[in-house]
Amino acid sequence: MRTLLKMAWRDLWRNRRRSLINIFAVGVGLFLVLLYGSLVGTVMRAKDQLDDGGMGHIEVTAPGWRQHRNVRQALENPKSTVTGLPLPPGSDVSFRVVSRGLATSARGSKGVAIHGIDPAIEATVAAYVNKLRAGKPLAADDERGVLLGDKLAEDLRLQVGQKVRLMVQRADGEVGADLFRVRGIIHPLSPALSRSLVLVTAAAAQRTLGLADVAHQIVIQLPLAAETDAVAERLRTRFGERAEVMTWGQLMPMMKVLEDMMGVLITVISLFVYGLVALGILNTMHMSVLERTREFGIMRAIGSRPRRVVALVMGEAFWIATLGVVLGLGAGILLTKLGSGPPVLDYTSKMGESFDFAGMVMRSRFIIELPLGESLRAAALVYAVTLLTAIYPAFRVSRIQPAQAIHSV
Amino acid sequence: MAVVEVVGVKKDYVDRGAGTTHALRGVDLAVESGEFMAIAGPSGSGKTTLLNLIGGLDTPTAGSVKVDGRELATMTSAQLSDLRRDRIGFVFQAYNLIPVLSAEENAEYVMELKGVGSGARHERIEGLFERLGLAELRHKRPPKMSGGQQQRVAVARAIAAEPAVVLADEPTANLDQATGRALIEMMRELNRERKVTFIFSTHDPMVLEQADRVVRLVDGAVTSDDRKAGGAL
Repeated sequence: MRTLLKMAWRDLWRNRRRSLINIFAVGVGLFLVLLYGSLVGTVMRAKDQLDDGGMGHIEVTAPGWRQHRNVRQALENPKSTVTGLPLPPGSDVSFRVVSRGLATSARGSKGVAIHGIDPAIEATVAAYVNKLRAGKPLAADDERGVLLGDKLAEDLRLQVGQKVRLMVQRADGEVGADLFRVRGIIHPLSPALSRSLVLVTAAAAQRTLGLADVAHQIVIQLPLAAETDAVAERLRTRFGERAEVMTWGQLMPMMKVLEDMMGVLITVISLFVYGLVALGILNTMHMSVLERTREFGIMRAIGSRPRRVVALVMGEAFWIATLGVVLGLGAGILLTKLGSGPPVLDYTSKMGESFDFAGMVMRSRFIIELPLGESLRAAALVYAVTLLTAIYPAFRVSRIQPAQAIHSV
Repeated sequence: MAVVEVVGVKKDYVDRGAGTTHALRGVDLAVESGEFMAIAGPSGSGKTTLLNLIGGLDTPTAGSVKVDGRELATMTSAQLSDLRRDRIGFVFQAYNLIPVLSAEENAEYVMELKGVGSGARHERIEGLFERLGLAELRHKRPPKMSGGQQQRVAVARAIAAEPAVVLADEPTANLDQATGRALIEMMRELNRERKVTFIFSTHDPMVLEQADRVVRLVDGAVTSDDRKAGGAL
């Protein structure tokens, strides 16, 4: 095998220009697929979408709550409930007391979404909790403090330290109101959240709403998105009729559809690019093999079995694939390094930092990133395509008649 | 015992435009182990075709070819490869070394196919290269060697794996007279020392002079089979 790989390596460099073109074609093909996948991935990266939108791979709510958002439809003892859930290690889980309400300042009023949270654990599923524009984080025992979305604070002309009144419909049907003080102003990427979000502690929300120790949402983020359906199924079994368990694909069907479409698109583009690369390699390898018919004839004449000459041709394909993968991944890594600075596509001047689309938060700056798993998968595909392409010329070589081959020019 | 046995062998080449060429018209030949023989004849007489058939590189239209008592017509492509690897050495008119391998690697190639370990290979090649005056060329690749040097490496490759028979197709045709003579003398010595059977195709008088037996072919048929008195047999 060592001799074959050595021969294949040396054969590769006998026609330097042709081999470099082949290697370049493989490398560029891989790079283009990675680049395209990376750009699509930037748009569709689910974990970021979830973090920035404060969503989970799985959400658990009381039955019917999602339709009417009635504060009385709640899950009891949320803290003890979340600690006992059958989740994979590394999962993040939080709970929220959720209500609509009206926020009033000295300068005006606005409809808001009030989330009663445990600030420490909420930060594990919602990145915006710690994205402070001004002020300080919300303390776990602060029953009079609020964090406001930055656009909301701007609309109500509220600053850190000023008072804000939150008015809600209580669980008993009465109107309830409480006075809070602004501790901090946060910056959610989602414009909708930025304009409407008010964070208070769970205890403060329960008090204002006249609720006992309950929550309306349990939000779960998994280490692997692929486990979502399996974990959701386990939770459905666990909760039975007592709760509704929804996956992110059910909560954001448009995102799921888009992700599936992008997956198909990447596959089609990959097939197209790899198909072109394969045709190029097939052509040049076929030429290369035909030019060396005599040598293959000699190898056969002096005792090489057909499979050995096949292995030699496959060895050349192996080297082309290896060097192409090194080139493609190298270019990808280089561009990732460069791409982590300036964005490849930047719509911030037109769209702002981010925009909401079909329930998702889209960043307006697309930066190149190559996830390791996807890069390795693409590299494996390159090996497969290149080696498959070499099968035909290798097969031709294995069928040659030594006597004719030796006397061919 | 005959190491090569050819009985009633015919070989036709069919060319759609030019019709059928009868390269061999019923050749019978038996070669005993240790012979140093030549197949002589003018160009187109069928010498190379006969060597190709004996080496299992081509198949006869009719007749039988046996090497070491094995009928080649019944063997698969892989079995023929193994037979060539284990029992037959080839020396071609155009040297036909593998250009990407050095002289040493070329000579070792067949041994490696046979599974000879690298230590044994090196040892055998070292002795052989010393013997053939190739010690200085070990790491040179064929394109950087002269014709005579390449042909000596080809001989080294042919005999390194200790075959029963070496088939040499006009081995001196591309060499000057002095180099050709030295090469044939060298093969003659190997024949005497190691009892390797050599079968040459040639029309070089110098080679014919060295051979113990000369079989003449004309138009694909054996016209004479002469053995020298006091030859190898």
